[in-house]
Amino acid sequence: MSDERGGGGRGGGRGRDKKDDKGKGEGRRTFSRRRRVCKFCADKIDYINYKDVRQLAGFIPERGKLQPRRISGACATHQRKLQTAIARARQLAMLPYVTD
Amino acid sequence: MTQERQYELVYIAGPDSSEEEMADLHTQVEQIAARFNGRIEKTENWGKRRLAYEIGRHREGVYVLEHLYGTGEMTREIDRRLKVSEVVVRHLIVRVDEDLDVANRATSRRKEESVRRRVARGLPPEPDPSERRGGDDDMDGDGGMEDMR
Repeated sequence: MSDERGGGGRGGGRGRDKKDDKGKGEGRRTFSRRRRVCKFCADKIDYINYKDVRQLAGFIPERGKLQPRRISGACATHQRKLQTAIARARQLAMLPYVTD
Repeated sequence: MTQERQYELVYIAGPDSSEEEMADLHTQVEQIAARFNGRIEKTENWGKRRLAYEIGRHREGVYVLEHLYGTGEMTREIDRRLKVSEVVVRHLIVRVDEDLDVANRATSRRKEESVRRRVARGLPPEPDPSERRGGDDDMDGDGGMEDMR
């Protein structure tokens, strides 16, 4: 993070040696950050079923709240589908609204 | 407005409902469906299950799932009747055709795409089981079961 900011700060030099800068940036970025793939996309799940409690249970932390996307790792489409599925399952008392 | 759509109805009856009451409920739903020119495609009885939280004074309930075809008016009437019913403690009607459509489209699109790419690479369109990459089930499910408890 701090590396990146250092690069951006030299705004004046950017125009002059653009090529050089770019090369450096790419070199820096190659340190391996694992790319996160949405679990539903990876498993090719197109329909998240609200009746399948076992499937949903994996995305309900202990407290019973919804898991944010940054933790569940789901893509927008699947997070949305997951949300509705969980909401429906809750209404049918298959999942808790809250657990204390 | 009166187009036929696909719905799923789940209702939960109290744990001490008799067989008769359950059968009665089923015929009631069936009759309403028939009145609105709809039909029940399939019925699944999940039996008695623990509720995740108390509803009224119940901790358990008998779950029944009905796959329905019919109009919106039909579901409105079913909804009204189940609300009035004293046997049913909770119910949910969900329209599923659109969601299933979307899912099917996504599946077929992915399949087409995979076939296209495989053909472009000069491979047979269908992957055979031996070339599947394994080892992606390490993260699957096991964490979830613990969370549930």
